[in-house]
Amino acid sequence: MCLENVLLNKNLKFEEAINIAKKGTHCGMCRIDFLETGLCSAGKKNGFIAYWPQGRMEIVNALNSGKVKPTKKLFEIVESCTFCGICDKQCNFTTQLRPQKVHEALKEYVQNLDQSEFQEIAEDDKLKKLQEIVGEKWATNDPIIIASYRRNIVNPDKELNFYAVMPENSKELSEVIKFANKNNLQYMARGGGTLFAMVSSTVMKNAMGLEDGIIIDLLRMKKLEINPEDLTATVGAGITAFELQKEAYKHGLRANVAEAGAHICANLASTGICTTWGNTYGWASDNYTDVELVDEEGNIFNHGEMEIKNPYSVEHGLTSLKLSPPGILTEAMVKLHPIFEGEEAVLVPFDNLKDALQLALKLAKQDIGLSLAVLSRKYLAEFLSPTPQIAKDFDYIAENYMKLNYVVDVICHKNDKKIVEDMVDFTIDKEMMKTLILGCPKLASLKGSEFLKILSEEENPCKAIFAGPMRNHLEKGLEANPENISKIYDEDLRDFFKKIYSKPQMTDVVWLHAFRIFPSRLMRQRMFIPRGGVMWATEKIITDFHDMLKETGEKYNLENALGYISFLEHGKFAVLEYDYYFDHTDPSISKNVNDAVIESLERTLMMDGIISDLHFYFKGLHRKEHILYPIPKAINDEEQILFRELIGSVLGGE
Amino acid sequence: MVKFLSEEWIDIGKKYMLEKLDPVKDLKSITTSLLGVVEHIPPDDITMNFYLELEDGKLKDFIVNTGDTFDEKNAAYEIRGNYGTYKSVLKGEMSLGIAVLKNRLKVKGSKMQALRLIKPLDGVIVSLQKITDEFE
Repeated sequence: MCLENVLLNKNLKFEEAINIAKKGTHCGMCRIDFLETGLCSAGKKNGFIAYWPQGRMEIVNALNSGKVKPTKKLFEIVESCTFCGICDKQCNFTTQLRPQKVHEALKEYVQNLDQSEFQEIAEDDKLKKLQEIVGEKWATNDPIIIASYRRNIVNPDKELNFYAVMPENSKELSEVIKFANKNNLQYMARGGGTLFAMVSSTVMKNAMGLEDGIIIDLLRMKKLEINPEDLTATVGAGITAFELQKEAYKHGLRANVAEAGAHICANLASTGICTTWGNTYGWASDNYTDVELVDEEGNIFNHGEMEIKNPYSVEHGLTSLKLSPPGILTEAMVKLHPIFEGEEAVLVPFDNLKDALQLALKLAKQDIGLSLAVLSRKYLAEFLSPTPQIAKDFDYIAENYMKLNYVVDVICHKNDKKIVEDMVDFTIDKEMMKTLILGCPKLASLKGSEFLKILSEEENPCKAIFAGPMRNHLEKGLEANPENISKIYDEDLRDFFKKIYSKPQMTDVVWLHAFRIFPSRLMRQRMFIPRGGVMWATEKIITDFHDMLKETGEKYNLENALGYISFLEHGKFAVLEYDYYFDHTDPSISKNVNDAVIESLERTLMMDGIISDLHFYFKGLHRKEHILYPIPKAINDEEQILFRELIGSVLGGE
Repeated sequence: MVKFLSEEWIDIGKKYMLEKLDPVKDLKSITTSLLGVVEHIPPDDITMNFYLELEDGKLKDFIVNTGDTFDEKNAAYEIRGNYGTYKSVLKGEMSLGIAVLKNRLKVKGSKMQALRLIKPLDGVIVSLQKITDEFE
């Protein structure tokens, strides 16, 4: 009995499970203990993605599409789930999905299978050798386990003839690579898998995924040591941003990290950990003091070795695209930074990008703010809102009633806060942010209300509501408390979320900027593809670039919005992310996404002063000065023709 | 059955390219030379190379050797990779461009110029794909 047949029988339980599974986006939040619930015991014990909630959902997708047949391993996977409900809490906070319903349906499906319906796995000598290297438990070619890596390293269109291995250390990894070379097997390492998840519904999936061979899952490399005496941490490839930050905070220190679920090493190697803290903490090789890599011949080496060739320089120009890092990063000695007493958050709202950018540039050039960014209304709405509908309503209210389209978002020392406050008319402070976080469901419900209509008639609605006479009304009206926000969750989860939102960190804007548990909400039930680049920070270059990305998104009918603009090198350079959002379950949208990606890349190359995001991917271990200088010039006509040929050959564009 | 890197592969490859490829239309009248170094060849994990030279779009030389260098000629480009990668390219499973950008094939010489060659070299790759049907 395949899942399709079950569906034909109109079993609503399976139908619901499949709908949930399809909406899963591999954000990876079910693999970190960000709500202090503990972790999925099956995943923790067995490692492979198949045992984690996100993997089980992908298995259901694969079974439903007929891509894989059940194996005996599926029975083991199903039995490993204790139905403890942790995944529902974690996933609901981020995506509002209920993965446990998927597991329940999967268990029922497996229990109804006849023994004859299990696919037999043939003996395989290569697998035996891989098992000798990493241990029997940690190497497999079982199609059910391989299926769980679809859309997070494996191109969903490919057959499932892969091996998956989980080495425990660099030595085992080195042996795996030597074995792969000797047996002509391709291989690719996987950290959190989020980058590929984002491109897997786009034209880039062929270029960036693994075509066949060995999936190397680095999750078992869990070394994490804080070295407070020299303000560094030693981080294995299986350590996530959240895990590092949690340990660093225990020592009064902070790491420069990407979103909570990102693996530090993978993120470092791919995009160099590009964050809103970059103007102070840096980018690329600024983030580490040494790294350990395993090269393509299986040699283990460190950047600190005297004998190696300069590892920090990079190619420039049109053909400097790279689709893989210079080796597999197994361990990094990352820099940590002191947390100052009395750090503050201050947000300055704007109705237009130009004014927001002018303030942010001024602050960046004066080194004000540990974290400094221009955030869009969209980001603010998505981050703060616990459900997609609340985010939508919040976004509408901010735009139409409050004229709040951008905020300059600053985490800073208390002395710098005073400087910011002196530069502007009014600000949104930490207390008001707490009110917005807890009160956003109520605020969203006020859409169309008299209160908001009156507010919109104010000359400066933001000032009236955040610093004027209406602030008190808003604070009272929103009834912002943990109990009220918990009411938007399913009844069985309300008590849990009331406790969660009672925790001080859940409304502490500084903590939220450091631990970054909200950005995964951008991937809730739908996907986005970030576009952007690093550029010489003039107002004109930044706004022209922003406008081009907006225009391209509009042209291809994609929901689009600025993500953030942050800075590097004392405000000399800006980083801009602009996002195209789409429903990854709708194949008809993929042509528009692909066309928008290719056209925006081409148009980026035709602008002076900008390094496209695709041109700094996989250069994160290099020295930022080598990436940024010389400041790039627009490509010429001949190079544009070459670009089109290249993109056609590489990405399959037209 | 023509085995990759065999003498027969060279002979049939030469014949195919000379007979079937138009120097102007298919090979854009290019003049270049490249050394393809193939590492980790099974079963003995050896390295071989092939030297290919085109002049005005016409095949001038196509030679296969053992080892990772070819001292008789200086190729404008060297493309180095393992046997599995060459196999994927010759089976049409991976494009030459992706193989280079994924670092599966490493280019010695100007990458810009090498990538410029990818389109004109399409004809050569397709020819080799057509004649090669045995590996390992």
